[in-house]
Amino acid sequence: MSLSRFLSQVVPIRQKLYRFAYHLLGNEEDARDITQDVMMKVWQQQERMAELENMEAWCMRIVRNLSLDKMKARKYRRSEDLDKAGEVAAVHQQSPHMAVERQDVMNRVHTTIAELPEKYRTIIQLRDIDGHTYQEIGEILSIELSEVKVNLHRARKAVREKLQKLNVYGVQ
Amino acid sequence: MEYNKIRELLERYWEGESSLEDEEMLRSFFASEHADLPLDLQEAQPLFQYFTEEANLELPALPAMETVIAQLPPVIKQQPWEHWMKYAAIFLIAVGLGYAGRQFQAKQQRIDVVMAQQDTYDDPQKAFAATQKALRLLAKNLNKGTSQVQKLSYFNEATEKIKAD
Repeated sequence: MSLSRFLSQVVPIRQKLYRFAYHLLGNEEDARDITQDVMMKVWQQQERMAELENMEAWCMRIVRNLSLDKMKARKYRRSEDLDKAGEVAAVHQQSPHMAVERQDVMNRVHTTIAELPEKYRTIIQLRDIDGHTYQEIGEILSIELSEVKVNLHRARKAVREKLQKLNVYGVQ
Repeated sequence: MEYNKIRELLERYWEGESSLEDEEMLRSFFASEHADLPLDLQEAQPLFQYFTEEANLELPALPAMETVIAQLPPVIKQQPWEHWMKYAAIFLIAVGLGYAGRQFQAKQQRIDVVMAQQDTYDDPQKAFAATQKALRLLAKNLNKGTSQVQKLSYFNEATEKIKAD
């Protein structure tokens, strides 16, 4: 892979990889490190470029694998990073009371998703937040299309049940 | 009316059968305020609001591209001749095995020749006696065979006589 190819195919998806790593790890610094590591890894495995059909899916897969390694190494608990969940929401609210209430609701949703098994959490991230197609998710997670649909259905069901138990409803 | 459509989309969403367009419609519906939203729809609102916020989450900028490129290590391609030690080791092992095989074969042949040339007895009298004994044994067994054949010849003669009559 020439430098120009690297610049045209890998560098533009850097932000996407960073965002994915951030959502997996919940930590900006670690996500930045992972993104940089992925860049290095892709650069060093240039020979594999010819065999690849979907460069982005391959990079995302590397992000996931490296993030999982990091999570294992540090025994991450993503739910510890809850404070960040409601920050954006609070900015758009006019009433401070409403802002706090909404932030609380967002935190509870965040915790609910963060407590899901990694497989379900990642699939919700890829589909409902990043907006990937089923095919892309299959390529990123190296699973069959049918498995993507089954896992997504189970993940959503689990989120729904948990939110119902927590009695989390929308704030008007 | 709109709520019914949203209910339909939600149903598909929970079943994992919704398209990206359906999900985008749900996100944009729940992103805006709705007075008197039915309870069953309120259930899904925080989740879709959360998705929208997470998708729009602004992360700090990554280091400049130039920095990334500067940090990339040079890729060192190994040439085939750089594995010469590996090839040399394989060659030496092959030569060693071949040589050992040939040596073994040659030694075996020498032993066979020596064994073939070696006399069994030092004393000629003993050798003569042993040969005689071996020939006697052979003759004895041979005679056993001829005595049986003799019986057969009687039988043949008898049948020929009968035929002649």
